This record gives sequence, structure tokens and C-alpha cells, in this order.
Amino acid sequence: MKKTLPALIAHIAVILAVIIVMGTLGLIAAGVASEGSEKFTDEIERNVTLRILENDTAKEQGYLKELLDAFNAEYAEYGIKAVDANMDQFTDLETGGPYGYGPDVLYQANDAIMKYVDGTRKHILPLPVEQLDCYEHIGKNAWDAYKVTIENQDFICGVPVNIQQPLLFYRKDLLPANWETEWDDDKNGVPDMIEYWTDLYRYSQTIRAQSASNYGYMKSLNDGYFASGYFLSYGGYVFGGEERNDTSDVGFSKNDGYLGAKIIRQLASVMNLECTEDTITKNSYSRMAQGAYFATMTTPDVYTMFIKEMVNAGFTEEYARENLIMTDVPKLPVSGDLEDESQGFKDMTVMGGINGYAISSYTKAPNAALAFVNFATSYKMINRRAELLGISPARGDSAEALGGLNANINNNLTAGTIYVMPSVRALGQVWTPLQTYCAILADDSLTGKNVYVTDEALKKGLENVDNQIYAAIHTLG
Amino acid sequence: MNQAKVKVAKAKTKKVLNVLITYCILIVVAFIFFFPCLWLILASFSKSGSIYSFDGFFPVEYGFDSFKTLFTDTVMYNYPQWFLNTLFIASMSCILGTILTILTAYCMSRFRFKSRKAMMKTTLVLGMFPSFMGTIAVYLIMTQFNLINQHWGLILIYSAQAPMGYMVQKGFFDTIPYSIDEAARIDGASNFTVFVKFTLPMAKPMLVYTALTAFTWPWSDFILPKMLLVDRDLYTVAVGLMSLGETEFARFAAGSIFIAIPIIVLYFCLVKYMINGMAAGAVKE
Repeated sequence: MKKTLPALIAHIAVILAVIIVMGTLGLIAAGVASEGSEKFTDEIERNVTLRILENDTAKEQGYLKELLDAFNAEYAEYGIKAVDANMDQFTDLETGGPYGYGPDVLYQANDAIMKYVDGTRKHILPLPVEQLDCYEHIGKNAWDAYKVTIENQDFICGVPVNIQQPLLFYRKDLLPANWETEWDDDKNGVPDMIEYWTDLYRYSQTIRAQSASNYGYMKSLNDGYFASGYFLSYGGYVFGGEERNDTSDVGFSKNDGYLGAKIIRQLASVMNLECTEDTITKNSYSRMAQGAYFATMTTPDVYTMFIKEMVNAGFTEEYARENLIMTDVPKLPVSGDLEDESQGFKDMTVMGGINGYAISSYTKAPNAALAFVNFATSYKMINRRAELLGISPARGDSAEALGGLNANINNNLTAGTIYVMPSVRALGQVWTPLQTYCAILADDSLTGKNVYVTDEALKKGLENVDNQIYAAIHTLG
Repeated sequence: MNQAKVKVAKAKTKKVLNVLITYCILIVVAFIFFFPCLWLILASFSKSGSIYSFDGFFPVEYGFDSFKTLFTDTVMYNYPQWFLNTLFIASMSCILGTILTILTAYCMSRFRFKSRKAMMKTTLVLGMFPSFMGTIAVYLIMTQFNLINQHWGLILIYSAQAPMGYMVQKGFFDTIPYSIDEAARIDGASNFTVFVKFTLPMAKPMLVYTALTAFTWPWSDFILPKMLLVDRDLYTVAVGLMSLGETEFARFAAGSIFIAIPIIVLYFCLVKYMINGMAAGAVKE
């Protein structure tokens, strides 16, 4: 009994201490959140070091060094030094940032960046984007990828740099010699297998019939990012709502989304069981170089890896660049059947992303960081970036000047055939159920289990995916 | 007479058969375990650098290109730096961890003090929990001490955790007769002199065993360095190899093979001491 009272007092004291500490930390955090937009005063901090997190390709190809050198020379009078943050390109700002171990400026995809401002989290700063030189030259769709609405007020938390869209990569030298007479029905000078999924499918069947080790189109069909395009093209969607971020409405199965599942089943039939997992994604670089695959689908930022593999395989770089072609994805049949062209074709909607710059809330030099972002997104630097890294610029003027595929991709974003990844944390719960279903579909087709043959079975399977995603978001998220 | 001969012959046949079957099983098991290592070694010498150009299981052409790349192409993946980082962390942890473990074990073996039993039991129970269980707590603590992204942060953790496994060493010290300590004390030796001049020389095998185990853990650990090291140039080999791009398989294989070399050399040099040490601590005489 004697010990009870002191023990009780000690317990209360400990609890009070914890509450006070937590409360103080909470107030500090709230303060940080509220002062976000007030950090930009137009007065550039002097004699500071900015840690810049860029992607690996930019570092590997020497672009980052060029960018840093140019910026440091431009801002030498302020004593600002921008350096490579030298961290993993996927570094989570949320983990080390609050403790001072994150970068000041980071370059990541829109879904990665926007998760830092989802809910109560405020790890990146809302930016006064109107002040940036690039503001007028970037389309609304691209800015929207970085928009967050707090208390009915819109904030932009990132600056779009690069539009990521899946593209078809193919080997021009592996086209049949007679493609102009046999594989160009519309006589437009473009091989049909590059223009239409139905013909690519048919050409893949032809290759498979001729050789046991060669393939036409090859892709890991379980990759949700790429496979989602088939569902999106037939009316499916990720999240509902005007802003496409209503996580209570998951809609891959909505409208005729199930037709995408049908396409995946058919495509699997011209591949092998490796399409049910990641193997093809990893081996496509060397297999394409060896000529074992005719085509694959991936994003333009890995173009140099294909070239590198072709050079390793004994081709000259010139030959490799001439024969490895990146182009827009083919058109899908309206019927949703790769063997039925009777109803015509439609553009394929693909899942895409906008990579861009954001500024950490924990930076000690927000104005210098903003100056860096302004510099890095200038016309000159974006053009240089596109030239060195093969990215597709979000800046309309750069895309227009570079022409070709860059202009197409920019137009695709405006036209809506690029479905920008929803900038919500819940997106993380989408991939696993989707991947599993796509892998099951491919396996079903290749092993002859034939569980998902009828439209009803495909629809039901996709509805299950929606339900699983919903459950994952609202129970785990 | 004949029956006896038949019996002997039968016994011989049985023995030969036994040996034959045992060897067959051992060879199969050894092959199962050795094959991945062999494959990795051969893959590291692949000239093309890609596992997808192999003819069946093995590379078509061999060369040292992967090893050359490993040490010369350091813009993205600075393997030599990672190797030195790992060596520094493992060596320092080995020195500090060995000192702390040996001191703890000696203390628990030779001295009787209040709460000794309770401490022994507590450390025994705590040692049963996997080290990664407290990673979040460790991370938060390290942030408070400003030891994130610093090799000394890792060394501190490895060294501090090492004494948790002091039981084997204590078992060894228990086998050294206490009468030696008493004789030394009668001659005027202090506790420290007894430890340094009498016990330690006798505990050489155990010192080697402790040092080796204290070295191998940080040498191959992944979880802690992955959590605490942010800067790429501070990575250890395990973390660095995991950060390689997906087409860098040959470099990964070469890096994995090379990292094993120092530890293999150490084992071959010290294995006789190590076996002595392990056996010595196992039985209380």
C-alpha cells in the first residue's frame, strides 16, 4: 500500500511528460505545415549547399553534373552550391527528411512526390509556380498531377519536367522483308504490326510458328502499370470522381474494362510463362538485342539501356540507334478481340506519370531551392535533358522544338490518352491485386486452364480486383 | 569356418555399402549446396555480363570484364569505396565487440555480485529476440544522437550488441581453474593483471572465435546499414549490391564473389583456433 501512491504519481508524471513532449512536437509539425507557402520570400539565401536528388539515368549520362555545374556557375555570386544528394533515386523523404537527412530538391514521379502531402503529411512545400519561367509552357494536365486541395484552396507542390508514357520499342531490322506489301494494308508507310495490336498479335503468332525460341511482342503482363492501359482503354478507371482520386470508387471493372482482360489473355498466348512474372521486364534488354524478341512496351527513360545491350551484342551504336525504334503504342480493336477488326480501332489509353521537381519542407534554403528548380526547368536545361536522356518534356515549347515523339506524347497528355497516375497514397494498394489478376489471366491462357474464357468470368475477376483494392485501401490504408 | 567367413564378408559388404551410400548422399547434398556458388562464380566471369546470354546454365564466354567494371566504373556504383566502408565497419566492430564480449564474459564468470544471475537471465532472454525487432527504435535513437548516415553509428550498435552473446565465452572462462587466479593474487596481482597476464593468453582460441564472429556479422549485415546509411558513398557492400540496376547482374555476381574473399582467407587462417574455441566453450570441465 505504501508503494502505491508514489508509483501512481510516478506513472502520472511519465504520462504527462510524454503528452507534453508529443504535444510540443505536434505543434512544431503544425507550424511547419502552416508556414509552407510563406517560406518563399524572393530573397535567395546566400552561402548554402543544396542537396539535389536526381534519377540514376541523369547521373549516369552526365546530365546531373552538367546541370549542377551550370547552376553553380550561374549563382556563384550568392555562394550557393548545388551538389548531388548521392542517395538512392527512390529515397523516401518521409523517412529521413524530418531528421535532416533528406535532399533539399528531389526529382521523382508524381505519385511518389504527392504522397508526401497526402492527408496530414506535409513533407514538401507548396510552390509559387507562377513565378517560374516554365509556368506558361506547361499544360494544365501536367500541373494537375501536382495539385493538392487543402481547405478549398489549391496548391501546386511540384514542377513537371518529364511525361512518362509507355511506348512500343521494336527492332526495325526484324521487320519482315516484305512488310511494305504484306503488312501495310493502309499503305501509309507504317508497318501494320506497329500500328494495330491485332496485327502485332498476328505477327507474333507468325514468328512463334516459325521458331520455338523467337517471339514477337513480349512483356511481363503482370506489370500493373503497363497492363492497366488495356482496362483503361475500354472505360475502366482507377479511382472515380472528377479529380480521379475518389478512393471509394475503384473502377477497373467499370464500363467495358473486362475487354482489357480479354486482350491480356490473348497476348499471353503468343508469349511464354515468363510473362506471368518479372522475367521479361528484366531480360527484354538483352533478348531484344539478341533478336529473340521483336517488340516490347516500356518507358522512354530506359532507351539507353537497350542501346547498351545492343552494343554489347556486337552491333555498332549507330546501327543500334537506327534500328531500335520507340513509337506510340498501337491502336486497340474496338471489339476488344485481337482477332476481330470489324468494328475498327481506337487509341489506347495508357497509364502515365509526370516526373518533376519538388522542394523538401525541411530545406534550410527554400528560395535557393526554388531558384534551382527554376533553373533546371528552363527551356535550355530541359532541351539538354531531353537530348541527353531521351525524356519527353512536359514543357510544350521544348516538346514542339524537339518534335517527333516528344510532341506526340505532349499531345497525348492533352488529349487524355495518357491516364496520369492518381496522386494519392492509396495508389500503392492498387498494384498487387491488379498484378495478381493479370498474372492469373496470362497463366490461364498459357496453361489451358481456361477459367477466364467467358465475359462473365472476366468481369467477375475484375470486380474482385476492385473489391480487393477497396478493402486494402480502407482497411490497411 | 565357412559361416564365419560369410559373416565377415557380409559385414564387409554392409560396411562398404554403408560408406558408399553415405558418400553418395554427401556428394548429392554437397552438390546441391555447392552448385549455386559455382554458378555464381562462373556467372561473375561471364564476358557478356548478362545472365540471359547463357548457354543453358553457364556463360558462353568467360572474361574478367565484370571484375574490371566493378573496380573501374565507379560513377554510379562505387564498389571499392563500399568495400573499404565494410572493412572499416567490420574491423572496428570486431575490435570493440570482442573487447566488450570478453570483458562481459570474464566478469560474469569470475566475479560474484548482486543481480548477477538476474542479469545473466535477462541477457539470455533478450538475446533470443531477433536484432531487427528494434529497428524503428534504433533508428529514432540514432537520429537523436546524430548518428544516422555515419559509420560510427553502425559500429556503436554492432559493438554494443555483441556482448549479448557472451555465454560461449563465459563457458570457456569457467573451464579455466580459479586456482590460477588465486595463486596470482597471492603473488600480488590485481584483477586486471590476472585478466591480462594469465587468463587472456589462455583464452586465445576463444579470442579468435569471438573476433571472427564479431567480424562476420557486420561484414554481411544488410538491415542496419540499409536503415542507417543514406549517402551512397557510405554504403556497405551488402547495401550497395542491392542498389545495383536490374541489368547489372554480372557486376552483382562479381561483387558477391569478391566480398567473400577476405572472409574465406580469414577462416582458412584461423579455423583451427576457431574449432578449439568453439569446443572449449561447449563443455564445462
